[in-house]
Amino acid sequence: MREKKEYYTGMFQWAMLVLNCAAVVFICTFIYITTNRIRAHYDARNFLGNVMTIPDNPRTNLWLCMILLGLLVVNFIFRHFPRTEYSRGAAFSLVVELLICVVIMYRLDFNYNGLLLLVFADVIAYIKDSKAKMGFLLLAIGGYLLADYELLSIYMPLFNMMDYVRYYTFTSQQWLSCIWNTMISLNIILFVGYCFSVINIQRGTIEEVNELYHELQNANEQLSEYADMAEKMAQTNERNRIAREIHDTLGHRLTGIIAGLDACLALADVAPQEVKKQLSVLADVSREGIKEVRRSVSELRPDAVERLSLNASIRKMVTDMGKMSDTQIYFDAGGEKLEFGEDESNIIYRIIQESITNAVRHGHAGQIWVTLKRIDGEVLLEIKDDGIGCKELKSGFGTRHMKERIEMLGGTIAFDGQKGFKVTAHIPIRWGETYD
Amino acid sequence: MKILRKRRDESILILFFLMLIMGMAYWFTKPHTEVLEFGMFTGSNWNVANANSFVIIDKAIARFEEEHPGVKVHYYSGVPRDEYSEWLSRKILAGEEPDVFMVLGSDFDQFSSIGIMKNLEELIEADETFDEEKYFSSALSTGKYSNVQYALPYETVPTLMFVNQTLLIKEGIEMPGSDWNWEDMYAICSQVTRDLDGDGILDQFGICNYDWQDAVYSNGGKIFQANGKNCFLADESVIDAVKYIRQLNELYQGQKVVREDFNEGNVAFMPLTFAEYRTYKTYPYRIKRYANFKWDCITMPAGTDGDNVSQVDTLLMGISANTRKEELAWEFLKLLTYDEEIQTQIFSHSQGASVLRAVTQSAEMEEIVQAEMEEGETVISGRLLGKVIEEGYTAPQFKKYEQALSLTDSEVGEILEDDATIESDMKILQRTINSYLQQ
Repeated sequence: MREKKEYYTGMFQWAMLVLNCAAVVFICTFIYITTNRIRAHYDARNFLGNVMTIPDNPRTNLWLCMILLGLLVVNFIFRHFPRTEYSRGAAFSLVVELLICVVIMYRLDFNYNGLLLLVFADVIAYIKDSKAKMGFLLLAIGGYLLADYELLSIYMPLFNMMDYVRYYTFTSQQWLSCIWNTMISLNIILFVGYCFSVINIQRGTIEEVNELYHELQNANEQLSEYADMAEKMAQTNERNRIAREIHDTLGHRLTGIIAGLDACLALADVAPQEVKKQLSVLADVSREGIKEVRRSVSELRPDAVERLSLNASIRKMVTDMGKMSDTQIYFDAGGEKLEFGEDESNIIYRIIQESITNAVRHGHAGQIWVTLKRIDGEVLLEIKDDGIGCKELKSGFGTRHMKERIEMLGGTIAFDGQKGFKVTAHIPIRWGETYD
Repeated sequence: MKILRKRRDESILILFFLMLIMGMAYWFTKPHTEVLEFGMFTGSNWNVANANSFVIIDKAIARFEEEHPGVKVHYYSGVPRDEYSEWLSRKILAGEEPDVFMVLGSDFDQFSSIGIMKNLEELIEADETFDEEKYFSSALSTGKYSNVQYALPYETVPTLMFVNQTLLIKEGIEMPGSDWNWEDMYAICSQVTRDLDGDGILDQFGICNYDWQDAVYSNGGKIFQANGKNCFLADESVIDAVKYIRQLNELYQGQKVVREDFNEGNVAFMPLTFAEYRTYKTYPYRIKRYANFKWDCITMPAGTDGDNVSQVDTLLMGISANTRKEELAWEFLKLLTYDEEIQTQIFSHSQGASVLRAVTQSAEMEEIVQAEMEEGETVISGRLLGKVIEEGYTAPQFKKYEQALSLTDSEVGEILEDDATIESDMKILQRTINSYLQQ
């Protein structure tokens, strides 16, 4: 569609070029032929008595205009190379075109200024830069107004083509005027048509952009609706799953435990020994239940800690953080494989995460060292950086949360902001803990 | 694709060079030797026979070519004066006009207005050896159009009054002096206008061919404003002149006096040009005409408000506005119009007078003219000739002059025929001519 429109615009330009060349050739040839005719008929003195002035030399004029038209066409073709379009070469070529047209108009004593419309049209087509376009347009409009024969002939002697037309018989005069006026009108019509087609292309582009924008907006709206829907569905699914889990595991066990306890109540007075046995079975069942609850919970949690081992999770985080900021982060896991409980893993992971975030955000650290290793019966967690540190410990760095968390595990935590920032935590290893 | 583009590139380059070569070929095939073209007509500008029209030009060319080695002056021979205007116009139309050319008085204003003649002001200004004062101011001013010098005078011819001395002697009338006036002339005219053979028809007259324009000029009047926007037909000096002509005409009781009457010796006065004076004073033309009476010429009679002034005609030469050899053209134009040696040749080989004061008023000129005459004939003195030329009336130069004058002349002719009052008719005519001029 757009290509087709551009094709039409190009055709208009070519048509204008051809028409303008034809008009110039027409004047030059007409003047030349008429001059010869007047001379052949010995009407020269009479003719000179009725003119304002005459062209210098009709033959030279004819030659010169032909050569200039040739240059104009070459220049035009040059500009229509795909690679010269909209380049600096095109601007230069436009200037050349303007110059050629001005010289031709000058040689024709401004009897034909339609050439300026050609320049006009080409400027509209080739200059994308709106400022340069405006400059050229103003120049062309000014030129078109100033190059008017009637206006110029007030200030300087110019030959009038109509003087030459008047030499012929009335019928011939009518024919000549008719041909000439048709050329002028056709040029203007082509110019208007050309402008119309250029405007059409530009309007087409704007409409296309508008349409695409609307489509994009609709798609966005739909997408956000889908997202909402998906979230709701996920929520529902999750709830359903939790409900199922609770029902399947906890519900089942609790039902069993209640039944067992009821039996114990009934047996308590009758057979205390049996009750003991029963209670021990119930305790086992409860433990089993807890295990199942843990497993369910772990299945419900989406965090990396649960899916990967703690070490791997930390490495992943360190790599991710390192990628996200320019900070170099070194992680030392001490070589020994440490097994942690879920709550421990979580807390260690969160503390490391919080400390690195602080080091990057507040300390502007370039390097961060993370150490996690077992020393005697304790796990040492140390995060230090080479950032600006801080003289006084301020709340709001999440230190309180860290302290609370570590205390939950029965450990201690210390902060030091003197040289960079250093977080040191000691966590006691849980021996004999039989959750796992 | 790339190869295609390259081929297109090449073809365009070839096209461009082809055009360049064509342009250069055109340029170089044009003749490039230094040839200065000169446009002139054969014969005299003054309607008198002239067998030697090329002599002066040939001498000038020989001298010019000697002074400017490598330069040739070429002129077209054989264009009669009657055809010269058309011949030059055809050259001009084709843009092939000569570099230097003669201009007829009737063409000068037209050619100047359409920009064919080169504006000489700058050349005059730049040339320190050139002094405008050396020309008769009346002759120089004929080369001006809208106060710009477009041409220089080459040869000038004043109008003089021919006197039939034989007739005056027969009537016992003294030859009038050079300061005579209308009254003197009218007195002589009324005295000589007679019916000699008694058949009731007048056969001896006072004057012929003396028209209202001659009277206007000698009465200090002007017909047109210099810029050609107005005429002064209702001015007193003009009206008086027309009245004077009617007065003279009334002497002839409606009879027409023609040139043949003068030739036969039956008319006392007739205005003729200096060229005619020189032609008919010299052999062989002296025998062909005016052989049966003695004659001489004097100044025109002065009007009541004027002087002994008559019209001065000048042959002009100019340079083409499109000439490529401006310097050479100017040098050649100067040689023809400004060089005293060449200008002196006008008295030897042409019938007019030189446009240079020093030449026309020289003793040499009198010698040359005298040499051609019969012994005992008096020669018009250089001083008198100079005075007539200097004070002579020159026609204003504007585009419509020729048409306006002929229109006015035919209208005044009708007024002279009618019995109506001259004042009111001239006022009406003035309005008519003004509206024509201002169109």
